[in-house]
Amino acid sequence: METHYVTEADFVSLLSRLEKQGDLYVATHEDDKVAIKPFSEVGDFTYPGVRAFQPLKPLFFSMLEEVAEYPTEEEALRESKPFAIIGAASCDLRAIQALDRVFLEGDFKDPFYEERRRKGLIVSFDCTDPLDTCFCVLMGLNPYPEGGFDLNLTKVEGGYIVEVGSDKGKKVVDENKSLFKPATENHLSQRQAIRSKVTETVEKQSKEFRPAAAWQEILARAFDDSAWARNVETCVECAACLFICPTCQCFLLYDERAGDRYKRLKMWDACAYRNFAKVAGGANPRPHLVERFKHRYYHKLDYFPKNYGFEACTGCGRCIVACPGKIDMRKVLKEVCKS
Amino acid sequence: MKNVYKPITAEIVDVITETPTIKTFVVRPRETIAFKAGEFMEVTVPGVGEAPFTPSSSPSVKDTIDFTIMKVGKVTEAIHDMEKGALVGVRGPFGKGYPLDAWKGKEILIVGGGVGGAPLRALFLALVERLGDFKKILYCYGARTPQDIVYKKQIMEEWPRIDPKKVEIRLTVDEGDETWKGNVGVVTTVVKDLGLNLNNSVAIVCGPPIMMKFATFRLVEIGYPDNAIYLSMEKNMSCGIGKCGHCMLGEYMVCKDGPVLTYDLIKDKPAIWD
Repeated sequence: METHYVTEADFVSLLSRLEKQGDLYVATHEDDKVAIKPFSEVGDFTYPGVRAFQPLKPLFFSMLEEVAEYPTEEEALRESKPFAIIGAASCDLRAIQALDRVFLEGDFKDPFYEERRRKGLIVSFDCTDPLDTCFCVLMGLNPYPEGGFDLNLTKVEGGYIVEVGSDKGKKVVDENKSLFKPATENHLSQRQAIRSKVTETVEKQSKEFRPAAAWQEILARAFDDSAWARNVETCVECAACLFICPTCQCFLLYDERAGDRYKRLKMWDACAYRNFAKVAGGANPRPHLVERFKHRYYHKLDYFPKNYGFEACTGCGRCIVACPGKIDMRKVLKEVCKS
Repeated sequence: MKNVYKPITAEIVDVITETPTIKTFVVRPRETIAFKAGEFMEVTVPGVGEAPFTPSSSPSVKDTIDFTIMKVGKVTEAIHDMEKGALVGVRGPFGKGYPLDAWKGKEILIVGGGVGGAPLRALFLALVERLGDFKKILYCYGARTPQDIVYKKQIMEEWPRIDPKKVEIRLTVDEGDETWKGNVGVVTTVVKDLGLNLNNSVAIVCGPPIMMKFATFRLVEIGYPDNAIYLSMEKNMSCGIGKCGHCMLGEYMVCKDGPVLTYDLIKDKPAIWD
């Protein structure tokens, strides 16, 4: 894989250039967390070190967007502005891979997601400061990116190693050649040291939650486990865990009058809501909260792997942080594994 | 690039009242839409929303499509108020329908109830159009009362005359009235003495959830293998393209992997009848 080195100052120059080509978002430190903000508001770059508190999904899959107007003749789909996100963690990349499978595979693609993916440049980074809620290693990931990025950054002395991961990323390097220097052996060994150390940290804090068998195998036996009901007791059905989840992709289509026409909107939805799966005739496959609670775990760790070959949980831990009922996915799974 | 979320405008060219709560809407889409029996479409009532329906007309009719719709919710209530000449929208077809080619040379048992007769009419007509491919068709249909039978004239007068040696129609109602001379009882009461060779037969079930459940149990009991029982699953199909998550049944997206699924695939999934 092609690697380069860029100094901190030159990287900020690169961002100023990228800003001229489209919308630019950076992961930046704000209070005690990392947040994704427009570069125009931040004006600088500091290495994020850990995933942002919000997922990247709204950049590709809007919380609310108009997807059709009717009745009208066939019209061209609106084009998106090019954009770049600087600061995707390894878990964020895995989440985008999951969304890609859902929205871009099969007989029908989601044209809006496809357009955003085509226009977006993703610059990721190696984690250096994992949170105590991080558990990517339990989901088959490392805390440093191994694919799915256009460019990846590793913090080394005085600057960053920049690894090229795609043609889109290569183009950025080629167009800004003067800012990049060769990455040295010393840089690469610094990277190796950081990666080993951080992986060890996440491994250590995840050790007590590591399952004895594959998630699918465990869930195949666990459907009637009493641990589900015990753990759902503090759930208030706010669906924060689903909206903050970087892989949750469920949405609702609804129609509205717009003058003499109608428009169709697509809005994030959540399977925790009671009527999510209810049909007009009244049948509801998951009328009880515990069934909906379980559905989330089964979708991510059993159904999704059955369909796509990998878990739709990235171990980012955002659901743990967001839950007002203090439900910790790792602890729920640990209890389920026990019995 | 095509926008899969945008409906194609369609004009309602006829409205047929089938029962007190069920009407058939014959619509003419502005673009020709080809579908196979069992595949479904999303029908839009402008400004109100969309709901999934499986066409009830023969797939060989190209310029119009029939949707037989029971009044049960917001969209269906709105469409029941619409008349000839009004405009609706359609998207699709979506999903996987009935695999007619795989059934060549077989004896076909169809078990239907209520408005579940809608997809089954599209299926029945498609089967009859190539009757030479199949050994027998036995169609068992049940309704709550004689008034609630859909396609009454076809099912009671026309279909039994198609080819009495090959095509048999059995009707039943849960509750008879003074005009009713036929069987009284739920549909499973006519699913017996089939005269079919179960080793060379498939069964197709469509109807209300409770009827689907007991009809399936009955078929298993008389010896149909699970993979020869084809169920038209009713779930909350919204996007139609396997992305919005509303119609999940275990790992299946009913809109994309179904709506027709064989019993062996889903029998161990949670809440299949709800």
